[in-house]
Order: sequence, then C-alpha cells, then structure tokens
Amino acid sequence: MTSGATTTQTIGFEIARYLPGEDRAPTLRHYDVPYRPEWVVLDALNYLKDEVDGTLSFRWSCRMGVCGSCGAMVNGVPRLMCAAFLRDYLPGPIRVEPLANFPIERDLVIVLDDFMQKLRAVKPWIIPGDRPPPADAEYRQTPAQLADFKQYSMCINCLLCYSACPVYQHEEEFLGPAVLALAQRYDHDSRDRGNSQRHELTWSDEGIWDCTFVGECSAVCPKHVDPAGAIQQAKVESTMDWYRSVLWPFGRR
Amino acid sequence: MASPYPRRRSRRWFIERWAYQRFVLRELSGVVLAAYMVLLLLLVSSVHAGGQAFADHVTTLRSPLMIAVHVILVLFALLHTVTWFQAVPKGLPLRRGEEKVPPALMIGANYVAMAGATVIIVAALVA
Ligand code: FES
Repeated sequence: MTSGATTTQTIGFEIARYLPGEDRAPTLRHYDVPYRPEWVVLDALNYLKDEVDGTLSFRWSCRMGVCGSCGAMVNGVPRLMCAAFLRDYLPGPIRVEPLANFPIERDLVIVLDDFMQKLRAVKPWIIPGDRPPPADAEYRQTPAQLADFKQYSMCINCLLCYSACPVYQHEEEFLGPAVLALAQRYDHDSRDRGNSQRHELTWSDEGIWDCTFVGECSAVCPKHVDPAGAIQQAKVESTMDWYRSVLWPFGRR
Repeated sequence: MASPYPRRRSRRWFIERWAYQRFVLRELSGVVLAAYMVLLLLLVSSVHAGGQAFADHVTTLRSPLMIAVHVILVLFALLHTVTWFQAVPKGLPLRRGEEKVPPALMIGANYVAMAGATVIIVAALVA
C-alpha cells in the first residue's frame, strides 16, 4: 500500500465545506486524491485547490509546523495539517473539518477573534520594572532562568489546544490553554515585572480556576508546550500566594 | 451580510473521545473514594458497637454484592492513585539548574513513598 509514487493509487477525503450566505450548515464532501507516501494532509488540500476546486478555503503558510496557521480536525483530532502524513491514515478516508470550538468563517477557516482578544488581555510582552537595563545594555539572563520559561515560549498560537479543550467549548469566557501558558511564560521570565498586572485576570475564575485539568491541550500540542502543566503550576503558585497573603499580612507581596 | 457558522457545543462531549471518558472516570474516582470512606466509617462504628453488630457487618461484607462493590472500589482507587501521581510532575515540576528532574523519577518517588507508608501502617496494625 505504501510503495511507489504512482498516481493510480488514490486516498479518499471527507472535507467539511461551508460557504456563508449559501449553506445553512457545513457539510462533508468526498474527494479522491492521488496517494503519495510523502504527502501530508495539507499537500492533498493544495492539490485539490489547484486541480479540482479552487474555491476550497483553508489557512496555511510555512508548511513546516512553525507558523501555526494550518490547524484542523483530522479524523476528529486537532492536528497541524502540514504535520499529518497521509501514510498514517491508510487506507482512509481522511475526514478534515475546521478546528472545533470556533465559529466557521468558510470551509476550514475559523474565526479567531476571541483568541486574539484574550491573548492581548494577558499582556504577552515583557513589562519592565523600575530599573530596566540602560538603553545601551541588554538584560542578563542565566541559562537556568531561561530554562524556567523556554518551553512555554515555543507556542505557535495554532489553537489546537482550544479545540481539544471541553472547558473552552462550554465556557466562552475561559481564557484557554495557550493564553494561560503564555501568561506563565512572561510570569516566569526574570526580565518581566508584570505579574501583578496579569494575575487579576489569569488567576481568576475565567483564568486558571476554570481549568479542570482534562489534559488534552497538552496531548495535542505540536510544540510540547504543555499548557495543562503550566496551568496546574499557576494554580499551585496562586494558592501559595493566597496563603502567604493570609498568613503573612505584613509581607511585601 | 453573510455570517460565520456558530461554534458547536456538545452535551455528549464526555463520551465523544476516549481521553474525555478517562477524564470523567478520573473525576468520578474522587466521589467513589468518598463513598468508600462511608463504608469504612460503617465498619468502624460496627467495631465500636462490638460483638453481634460486628459479626453481622462481616456477614454483609461477605455477600457477593459487597464483594463486587469492593472490586469496583479497588479499580477506582487504583485509577485515582495512578492519575494523581501522574499529575505531580505536571503541577510541581522540579528543576536542577537547567535540567528538568525526569517526570518518571518524580512519579516513582511517590510510589516508593506510598509503599513505605503502607509498610509502616501495616506494621503498626500487626504489632
Ligand atoms: S503551515 Fe505553518 S504550521 Fe502548518
């Protein structure tokens, strides 16, 4: 089944199509695509767009798991289409649908306004303290300080974690895995002094405390960011902070 | 103006994927363990009442239904233990300098601690 690059072999696709204004709801349409063992789902979609139906709409850019724009449900699981090899889905058919838990703009294109607004809300940038380094010098950071947040900085905002999260599906206010992991990324950055500006939101009920630790966000993350771990750690930190404030009322925090 | 198709919500989400079913079972294990505490308290109170009450209680515990209940309890207790220890390196990761302490090591240490505590408790009960 996996031998040769002949075009006589094909693999079936069930692709969700939705044209706003025309369709009442998304419907699955069947396509046959030549099977190539080195192809990923994104290659098959580009083949269809070039050769079969130019109206098929989907987002992509880098083709190498970096830009984070090609997320979709492949056989019901959130995946980067550029990292999902056809050979892992033999004999097919392969079902491709837009990322779950988001409104659908068209075909496989989702609306990501909600995520963008939440991302901005947690201030994902370095907030300098009272004594930033002079303009002609750089921040110093030890390898250990870097290791403290590096993993969380690998996020490519692909939103697979939001599609895997049943809490986000049901609680629209929930900030969600990637945003909370990114907040943790800046909280743990030794150059950042913005914790107090973020915690009001991230340590609230719409933040970490909405999470029930289903853990699927981490399972589907293509960059091993482990947002579930980030959120549980933030819960521990938030709890310790609360005890500190209660037991040590004259403390500086 | 054509509008996007609204996000879909499922009331049956927890049975739609094995990972979600596992999550629900894990959460349920807490409730099941709480129920076991009730059974345990009933046992203690029968011990306190002594003699006939305790003998009756033991007879009840020997019934096939109670044995089946306890088999289920043990399975949930195991699930609870395994998932709880798995969560430890997630919530409290340790690092030595740049190196992460391997999660397997942290989970293993918890099992060792549990085994140690079990030995001590059993020894205290037997002595
Ligand atoms: S196309 Fe960039 S991540 Fe897939």
